[in-house]
Amino acid sequence: MTGFELPIAFFLLCNLIVALLAAARGPTAADRMLTALLFGSTGTGVLVLLAYGGAGQVLVDVALLLALLAAIGGIAFARRAWQRGRDD
Amino acid sequence: MIDILSAVLQIAGAFFYFAGTLGLLRFPDVYSRLHALAKADNLGLGCVLIGLALQAETLAGSLKLLLIWPLALAASAGVSYAIACRADSLGVAPWRKEKH
Amino acid sequence: MSLEFAFDLLLALAMVWSAWRSLYATRLDRAIVMFIAFGLLMALAWTRLLAPDIGLAEAAIGAGLTGALLLDAYGALQRKKI
Repeated sequence: MTGFELPIAFFLLCNLIVALLAAARGPTAADRMLTALLFGSTGTGVLVLLAYGGAGQVLVDVALLLALLAAIGGIAFARRAWQRGRDD
Repeated sequence: MIDILSAVLQIAGAFFYFAGTLGLLRFPDVYSRLHALAKADNLGLGCVLIGLALQAETLAGSLKLLLIWPLALAASAGVSYAIACRADSLGVAPWRKEKH
Repeated sequence: MSLEFAFDLLLALAMVWSAWRSLYATRLDRAIVMFIAFGLLMALAWTRLLAPDIGLAEAAIGAGLTGALLLDAYGALQRKKI
């Protein structure tokens, strides 16, 4: 470990929270869902960084699962949930 | 040497994540926001994963990290295609600069 | 204040805020997106609490499958209304 993992994980968590605050007021349904997809990939990055920042290799498995399942949510949104709504 | 390269790649990854978040907040329509999201997914995660794979102790550990990347690439491409296709069929018009 | 403590504090605040938003959102789709975000933060919190196996289950069930099922149910409700 180079000592950079924890500061970068902290920076990515700050990114995640800014995106979370923006998701609460996002203009359309699609934008809120895109923010949820960004959570998936940022969460994967944070978990991998924490795994090499001293928390152990098990976290890489959690990151792998998160990368896989964020896509399922996105596909479910595009194929099933996104109808012509009030604010699209 | 490897430590410096690894730190530089991690910082580059953090920069791409930041640029992706900023683009997601500032871009004007769904299609360009998809573009920003794909940057954070592919380049940000890719740089972080390569940077960490350089300092893994075993070859298996580093290959496992590098295998997350193609998975994220395929997932991001599939989701972007599905959302853009759906937006197009719902009639969301791409953003254009206003003419003066 | 060490960096790890700041990380945990920020995570806890974000979890409380997203749980509150998910319960009190006026529209269902906003509540679902906030629920997905809450599941992801919960998975991060379990790994910070040194329980990565529960984090694995939470990432699979909470953020992934329940989110997809809720989005599907929301789409079915919308189709029924039209």
